[in-house]
Amino acid sequence: MPQAENKGLLIFFYVCIAVFSVICFAPFVLAVSGSLSTESRIAAEGYSFWPRGFSLETYQFLFGSKLEQIVRAYAVSLTVTVLGTVSAVLVTTAYAYVVSVKSFRFRNVFAFFAYFTMLFSGGTLPWYLLSTKYYHLDDKLIGLIVPYLLSVFLMFLMTNYFRSIPHEIVESAQIDGAGHLRIFIRIMLPLGRVGVVTISLFYALQYWNDFYLPLMLVTDERLYTIQYLMYTMMANIQFLASGNAAQVGGAIIAPPLETAKMAMTCLTVLPIAILYPFLQGFFVKGIVVGSVKG
Amino acid sequence: MVQQATPRETNERLAKRQAVSFGRLRKSIGRDAPLYLLALPGIAVLILFAYLPMSGLILVFKNYNFNDGIFGSPWAGFANFEFFFSSMEDAIRATRNTVMLNVLYMLTGTFFSVAIAIVLNEMRSKWFVKITQSVMFFPYFISWIIIGAILFSLLDYDKGILNQSLAALGLSQVDWYSSPWLFVVILVLANIWKSAGYGAIIYYAVLQGIDTSYYEAARIDGASRWQIIMRITLPMLIPSIILMSLLSIGGMLKGDLSMIMGVTFLNPLLLPTTDIIDVYVYRTAIRSGEFGFASAITLYQSVFGFILVLVANKMAGWYDKDSKLF
Repeated sequence: MPQAENKGLLIFFYVCIAVFSVICFAPFVLAVSGSLSTESRIAAEGYSFWPRGFSLETYQFLFGSKLEQIVRAYAVSLTVTVLGTVSAVLVTTAYAYVVSVKSFRFRNVFAFFAYFTMLFSGGTLPWYLLSTKYYHLDDKLIGLIVPYLLSVFLMFLMTNYFRSIPHEIVESAQIDGAGHLRIFIRIMLPLGRVGVVTISLFYALQYWNDFYLPLMLVTDERLYTIQYLMYTMMANIQFLASGNAAQVGGAIIAPPLETAKMAMTCLTVLPIAILYPFLQGFFVKGIVVGSVKG
Repeated sequence: MVQQATPRETNERLAKRQAVSFGRLRKSIGRDAPLYLLALPGIAVLILFAYLPMSGLILVFKNYNFNDGIFGSPWAGFANFEFFFSSMEDAIRATRNTVMLNVLYMLTGTFFSVAIAIVLNEMRSKWFVKITQSVMFFPYFISWIIIGAILFSLLDYDKGILNQSLAALGLSQVDWYSSPWLFVVILVLANIWKSAGYGAIIYYAVLQGIDTSYYEAARIDGASRWQIIMRITLPMLIPSIILMSLLSIGGMLKGDLSMIMGVTFLNPLLLPTTDIIDVYVYRTAIRSGEFGFASAITLYQSVFGFILVLVANKMAGWYDKDSKLF
């Protein structure tokens, strides 16, 4: 009898997890299907999980009349993500190394200096006024990078990785006359590479997905990231409609607004979806390490 | 993270110690010079984007104008506070919305994360766990603006999937984007969708560390699967659950501007429940340039946020000494 009860519960569990997984996945099917539908049928019949009137006209429209904007937004996002991730990892690992050096008498001071910013924050408003009026980060590419160069959480995560490196290795290097710079670059970074890769991925994800900084600092269309382009599209459909009604054979064809949103969604998620299977393990490890000792 | 100071010493010993350590200090500064260099960029970022904004909180005592900036604008005394107290409804609404949404996120998020972790822990099929875990974790990687776009295709009045389904069932359609209280449900569900898989990873990792002998003993005693879950698995998770919840209390006054912007596009019809403190500051100060009230609410958010973090940490410390953050 108990065996049967156990079996029933287990089947119920499998069903629950399967259903939730489907719910997690289904919205992306909806987006892909929407992007492959024709605008007129979406307008008439609504969205659907199966393409309505399968066509590539939306992508043709986007890659035709919107190509320049999309390519530029992609380029800005990519530049910000790559430059931002590299710089942030350098700044973060360097700081984390300083905090992790056991013999450094002020390491706790440095740790607290970073930690305090997690406790107390001046809030958005002073941050915004300083960034725009004093640092002049508005409408500059660097403004989309610099504010995120040191995540205190990832810094402490990195410190944990550095601390797990056997101290004897560092000691023997010191005996051989290696200074801190050499130890950091030649020993800590290579031996802590799992940590370095992990925080790189977290930074890359943050930079790629961010639309807080463009929202605060960017008005120049040339600096729109792919996320922010998406936002302006959603918040203001006029972006697509303005003066871009394509003329084909004398007839004015309205731009496909609804399907374009779905197509942009697919284009924005695509890089993440491609890399996700290879990289998710690092995120899982990072989250576990971070939550255990964060 | 920061160690306790050494126990008190008598003045005499302290003076001796200082004399000795001063020489050591000079030597160590020479050896440690590269460390200061390495920390420098990080220090600069912290000062520019965290510490100077803190000092920018003096804004609340200023009559801000753009030309003079934060530090040059004339002092306004307590005028901004008077303004703040004279129109408290806005502040109360923003605070209520912030706390309400955060509490709902915390309760539902924890429930689903724990449930997923426990259920996954019961499964013996490795590939099933692996695949479903990957799928459930994926939404964590999606930005709120993308989620907003997809939600629109679910919730739109005419074209949305939800209203299509309601119509198919013969029910009346719902105008989701003009129902502020219904939209709270949407926000909570969206939050679960995005972060439950992420949270489950943490709890699942805790469960993987449980000694299997507990389960073997229970099974020998004839415990059912449900009994094992309720009497062993769940109790094992309770410390982590309490800890994570306590720590999240510290963030109760923080709001996610990106989430609200991405999902509601500041739809005015939804503001009665989505106007959280950060949204309020963005709307009034950054968009409309009215700094007086926003600066007061920012100061209030910072100060009470700080108190909440201290209280949360204190409670986490009482609960479990090791988990105290400082």
